[in-house]
Amino acid sequence: MSNKKGVYIHIPFCKTICSYCDFCKTFYNERWVKKYLLKLKDEIEDIYMNEEIDTIYIGGGTPSVLNPKRLEELFLIIKLFNTPHLKEFTFECNLNDLSKELLEFLKQNGVNRLSIGVQSFNSEKLKYMGRNHDFIIAKEKINLCRQMGFSNINIDFIYGFSCEDVKIMKKDLYQILKLKPDHISTYSLIIEDNTLLKIKDYKRIDEDLDADMYEEIKNILKKKHYNHYEISNFALKGKESIHNLKYWHNEEYYGFGLSASGYVDKIRYTNTLSLTKYLNGEISSKKEILSMKDIMDNHVMLGLRLTKGINIEEFFQIFKVKLENVYPIKPLIKNNDLIVKKGNIFINPDKLYIMNEILLKMI
Amino acid sequence: MNQERIRNFSIIAHIDHGKSTLADRMLELTKAVDAREMKNQLLDNMDLERERGITIKLNAVKLNYHYHENDYILNLIDTPGHVDFSYEVSRSLAACEGAVLVVDAAQGIEAQTLANLYLALEMDLTIIPVINKIDLPNADIPKVKEELKNILGFKEEDIILCSGKTGEGVDLLLQEIVNRINPPKNNTEKPLRALIFDSYFDSYKGVVALVKIVDGKLSLKDNIKMMANGKSYEVVELGIHTPKEKKLKELVSGEVGYIAASIKDIQAVEVGDTITLENHPAINPLSGYKKMKPMVYSGIFPVEPNKYEALKDALEKLKLNDAALTFESETSDALGFGFRVGFLGLLHMDIINSRIEREFNLEIIATSPNVIYKITKTNNEIIYIDSPNKMPNATYIKTIEEPFIYTNIIVPSDYIGSIMELCQNKRGIYKSLEYIDEARVNIHYEIPLAEIVYDFFDKLKSTTKGYASFDYEIKGYEISNLVKMDVLLNGNIIDALSNIVHKDFAYKRGKQIVEKLKNIIPRQMFQVPIQASIGSKIIARENISAMKKNVLAKCYGGDITRKRKLLEKQKEGKKKMKMLGNVEVPKEAFLSILKEEEN
Repeated sequence: MSNKKGVYIHIPFCKTICSYCDFCKTFYNERWVKKYLLKLKDEIEDIYMNEEIDTIYIGGGTPSVLNPKRLEELFLIIKLFNTPHLKEFTFECNLNDLSKELLEFLKQNGVNRLSIGVQSFNSEKLKYMGRNHDFIIAKEKINLCRQMGFSNINIDFIYGFSCEDVKIMKKDLYQILKLKPDHISTYSLIIEDNTLLKIKDYKRIDEDLDADMYEEIKNILKKKHYNHYEISNFALKGKESIHNLKYWHNEEYYGFGLSASGYVDKIRYTNTLSLTKYLNGEISSKKEILSMKDIMDNHVMLGLRLTKGINIEEFFQIFKVKLENVYPIKPLIKNNDLIVKKGNIFINPDKLYIMNEILLKMI
Repeated sequence: MNQERIRNFSIIAHIDHGKSTLADRMLELTKAVDAREMKNQLLDNMDLERERGITIKLNAVKLNYHYHENDYILNLIDTPGHVDFSYEVSRSLAACEGAVLVVDAAQGIEAQTLANLYLALEMDLTIIPVINKIDLPNADIPKVKEELKNILGFKEEDIILCSGKTGEGVDLLLQEIVNRINPPKNNTEKPLRALIFDSYFDSYKGVVALVKIVDGKLSLKDNIKMMANGKSYEVVELGIHTPKEKKLKELVSGEVGYIAASIKDIQAVEVGDTITLENHPAINPLSGYKKMKPMVYSGIFPVEPNKYEALKDALEKLKLNDAALTFESETSDALGFGFRVGFLGLLHMDIINSRIEREFNLEIIATSPNVIYKITKTNNEIIYIDSPNKMPNATYIKTIEEPFIYTNIIVPSDYIGSIMELCQNKRGIYKSLEYIDEARVNIHYEIPLAEIVYDFFDKLKSTTKGYASFDYEIKGYEISNLVKMDVLLNGNIIDALSNIVHKDFAYKRGKQIVEKLKNIIPRQMFQVPIQASIGSKIIARENISAMKKNVLAKCYGGDITRKRKLLEKQKEGKKKMKMLGNVEVPKEAFLSILKEEEN
């Protein structure tokens, strides 16, 4: 664990809108991007207290849609951060945007991790997603990233479309594995409100098939030496995401940009979702000052997402109270819902996919 | 006021024949309410009554009517139309000298038209037949006139045509009320006898009794005595409803009004009791009413166990003006402390349960209703049980009897076949069939009341597209081949789900119940078997498979607050569940086993 904060920056622009995506985004518009970056700079100058930052994550939207000029502006803004020992700097990319020029630029500016939204190679799934790419091109692009010196690449993988069975899902996952990513984020399709899928009343697979797929994914990735370190995240040795671990360790981080969330000085905040408001400087939207119990609940809710769970001694160090005195964990341990091992407490791996049931008995 | 100028009357009708609308017009015409105060179904005070368009509780209002140079007081005592509430009808009628019988010009005579008319005739009331809704495009006045003449024996010239909607004929009706209905007898000189026909609880005034002064007169500050229990009180307020409360100094023989006497004990005022004066008492009380006995019993439990006292308080307050409601405490292994409550019928049960939830803000679980069974034990001892869980062990039972009813089912003759099929499926025994006219029949069956409680109304409605009207009277007890069926969740008998079924139907019902529960109970962290059993024999089984997924599948920086809220929402949902052993069961499960799936 580190005590330094991370930074998340949201770039809410996309060239195409994916059917399942409920993140805050809008169609790419050069004029707005320019204005947006100015406001982003204002926001950071306004809020950032100049403490040391050791992880940066630029997500979206699609950060890779920015043209070279705008990218330059963005990275000038990032220079505002005090980063003498930057450990991880992730940039989210669309496969089709990966060019030699872009990669060179990112490399020169300190980016050391790429997160690429591949999601799938199954043509039917891609059709439902409203996306389009093929395996040969993907392979070339990833090779290009490797040539340019990127040794930490994440690929997102979606499963759970109604056209999908375990066999199709497996084939799709094996395709992704051929790209040899260092890190894989899986994502069981959720039909979120305000997405195209929801509007079209798309039905997802039932929970039994969903759980079967999840088991299969875990087995395959384990065989391929990926460490299952968080419910939906798998990494080769040493490639666990340092930035994302800050979330699950309930550590503090800044969030800048439209709709971004942050956690600073025991306050969880979310910026406005309205681009118009953001561009007018009405940035802040929701603020929640957390009580000690809130913080503890979050610590448990987030920590138990990790397969190694929560360090019991560390919990005591942070909160000056024993975990077992706050949460009724004894019957859960007895029932084999929770397991205690080497000073850590974690969810029984067989019950990870129903962990809400266990959380509900705790918080 | 001279008794000669008072008329006490009720309006009786089949449900939906426009009784409350007609009353609204009378109120308007006699200027009892301003047009600006007028809202539909003015006499139906309860939200529930307005929402469902039915009258549940009766109500009395005083109308001032000027006719032939004279001022008259017309006391209109409203009545409910549904079969479950015929008790309330008889209470209202006891306070009247006449009744207006309303028949829909398009529908004609229906089952409750007959039932209510018979009640009124039993009490020797003057009946004014009215054909209502004559403005309807599908009104068939000649046909309905024929029905009134041929079936009910009215004379053509006595029938009044009117429309509660347009107001046509309403003035004539008021005139005829004055002309035909007798004024109450003038007994002002006799010792006071006032009939309590309803009561309610007011947090400022205490118990308020609605009374008809039969003999004598009652004044402010009089000391009154309840003849049933001998308790005495001083009258602190009396008056009439116009329909707003209007305070008066006295009520005299023939008048209908309300009295308040700082009565805090709600048990002290019994509907049907007679009030007299303490220092000048009457010798004999009025005859009161035929007591209606509850026919249907169900367990009612608070969702939160610490609300038992609040539930008790709610039931006591409701009982105050609902004499037919009975309850006693009951303990269930599954649901904890609650009450076994007796109702007149399913609608009554439904209304009471809604009122508890709405007016008293209590969340309750109602178990599936059952009738009273008469059991003769092997030692010839006879017991009556109002709950399946009071059933003795089968080895001690000689016979079980259940109540049967005699039906009036009025339907277009096209539906004779489907009605017969329905009644046969409900273990009915065919009795007879009468033609009301060439297109409509009244079908008589004897059917176990338990089958009516189950889903008869729903089935009747769906098989006849709503064209059937239904009414019944209790026939008495008959021996049936009945057994107690238990339901087991995860191997444990859940007492609140036990029920009594006919042996020949047990397998089918058992199968239906376990399937139903399978669909209602959400998946748990482990597999849950649901079984139906008779004694130790399992007759049906389903499994709820273990939950496979309940996870916040992705959760990054931006999601944390939102995901936490999602979790809290799930937690709220869990709170609404009842833990039966280690199985979480939604409260709907207890009642839902009642209703068959629509095929």
